[in-house]
Amino acid sequence: MIATSGLSKDYGGGRGLFGLDLEVREGEVFGFLGPNGAGKSTTMRLLLDLIRPTSGSAQMLGLDTIGDSLEIRRRVGFLPGDFALYPKLTGRTVLDYLAELRGGVDPRVRDSLVERFGADIDRPIRQLSTGNRQKLGLVQAFMHEPELLILDEPIAGLDPLVQQSFHALLGEVSAEGRTVFLSSHTLSEVERVTTRLAILRHGRLVVVDSLENLRKVAVQRLEIEFGSPVDASEFRALPGVTEVHAEGQLVTVGFEGSADAVVKAAARHDVRAIRPREEDLEEIFLQYYKSDGAT
Amino acid sequence: MSLSTARITLRLRLPAAVSAGVGLIAVMIAVGALFPSVGHTIGKLSIPKSVSNLLGGGDYGTITGWFRSEIAAIYGPLVVGGLAITGAAATTAGEEEDRIMGLVLAHPIRRPRLIAAKAAAIAGVVLIVALGTWIGLIAGVAVGGGGITLAHMTALAVQLAFFGFATGAVAIALGAGTGRRSLATGVGAAVGIVGWLINSFAPLVGALDWLKYVSPFYYYAGHDPLGQGVDIVGIVVLGALSLVLTAAGMVGIDRRDLRA
Repeated sequence: MIATSGLSKDYGGGRGLFGLDLEVREGEVFGFLGPNGAGKSTTMRLLLDLIRPTSGSAQMLGLDTIGDSLEIRRRVGFLPGDFALYPKLTGRTVLDYLAELRGGVDPRVRDSLVERFGADIDRPIRQLSTGNRQKLGLVQAFMHEPELLILDEPIAGLDPLVQQSFHALLGEVSAEGRTVFLSSHTLSEVERVTTRLAILRHGRLVVVDSLENLRKVAVQRLEIEFGSPVDASEFRALPGVTEVHAEGQLVTVGFEGSADAVVKAAARHDVRAIRPREEDLEEIFLQYYKSDGAT
Repeated sequence: MSLSTARITLRLRLPAAVSAGVGLIAVMIAVGALFPSVGHTIGKLSIPKSVSNLLGGGDYGTITGWFRSEIAAIYGPLVVGGLAITGAAATTAGEEEDRIMGLVLAHPIRRPRLIAAKAAAIAGVVLIVALGTWIGLIAGVAVGGGGITLAHMTALAVQLAFFGFATGAVAIALGAGTGRRSLATGVGAAVGIVGWLINSFAPLVGALDWLKYVSPFYYYAGHDPLGQGVDIVGIVVLGALSLVLTAAGMVGIDRRDLRA
């Protein structure tokens, strides 16, 4: 559905996107993550031909993103991260205009989206809160029932109830076989809705995988409760151990690879309980952000 | 051209255009009303040639000179040029800087078509103000006692409209070509002001007389539309300039990255 090959946009000074090779499959909800300035929005703007690559190429829906841009834009829905509209006009007027640019949309679909998100389309946009403007952004991105949705920070400013509606909609869209490519800083969202994700750092792709696989290769942690306090330093010296945190009788050991050495070292003491601590997405995410991605 | 884009652009600019048109009508009625009591007195004053040129000839003693100095030389081009330039810069580079154009161009519309539609809308703004000028002239001249033919008043409104098209097109070219609103507004205004100064002062210096031909003001009012009627050459030059500059903006935006 999306395929990039060496896609690059060099802004100079190390800023931009460099050599992105990425494939997003049909029907998946694909998460695109990375810190500010990592190149997420640049990638989306390149895909929509709003900016042109320094080198490399990209295809969407089997079409070239530059040569076939018009046809691609007809079939794609886009929500920019810095969504803005004409402040003096009402949401209704702007949605009518954007629908006309698409040659018309089914008014029933638009109306159902407006109702679903509780969007206020009869007040001038300058009078709307950030969240209410974002609702209009979602309506315009979905109202023509696109085959592919490119959403940059879609839940920014939305209250939890609307977020829930949005995530339900994503589920429906995915079930219909449509594809979603979304960037987000909200890790719970990525965890909830994406099937696979990519992490960008300094304009370069660090990893592409399912969340399940990312968890497997991430640092694991064991929380060990001893009968009496133990010397934590004996765990630090073990092979594969990356961190040790001791608090009274409770010791948390982070390690890569096999747990064998840690368990055997613990067994030399009076062990009351051993509990694996599941890596949450934020920790995985931060590891990739901080390191060179060589996990 | 995208009709929906032209319509929404015109709608955004309509309040300013209608206000300006109504304002010009009011000003011209007031100017006409002043002529019988003030015009003849001021007409006897000795005004330096340079000042006289700045005011479009400065012949205050006749109603044609009176309206030429007040409306044709100052208010008309100031209002038409001002609205055309600020409107054109706002609807191209302004919308880009405000991040609206990025969303619009994520829809199935080609960039040149978008700019053509916006240029058409700015032409609509200019026509509304030119219409206001025409109506105001008819009313103002009537209040002032008459003395200018309808054809000559129409000629001024037409020349003014083409002056507005050209100055607006400068801002379209720069706004669409660079995405920088301040540049489009600043250069557009500079073209208008410098053109006015050149057209006024260049003829005073024999060696620099030719400079007037590079000023859009010359093609707008150099032929004195209120006194002589329509200047076809002026209209053709301003019209061609408008088309070339708009085309430059359409090509320019198609060849660059959107800035925001």
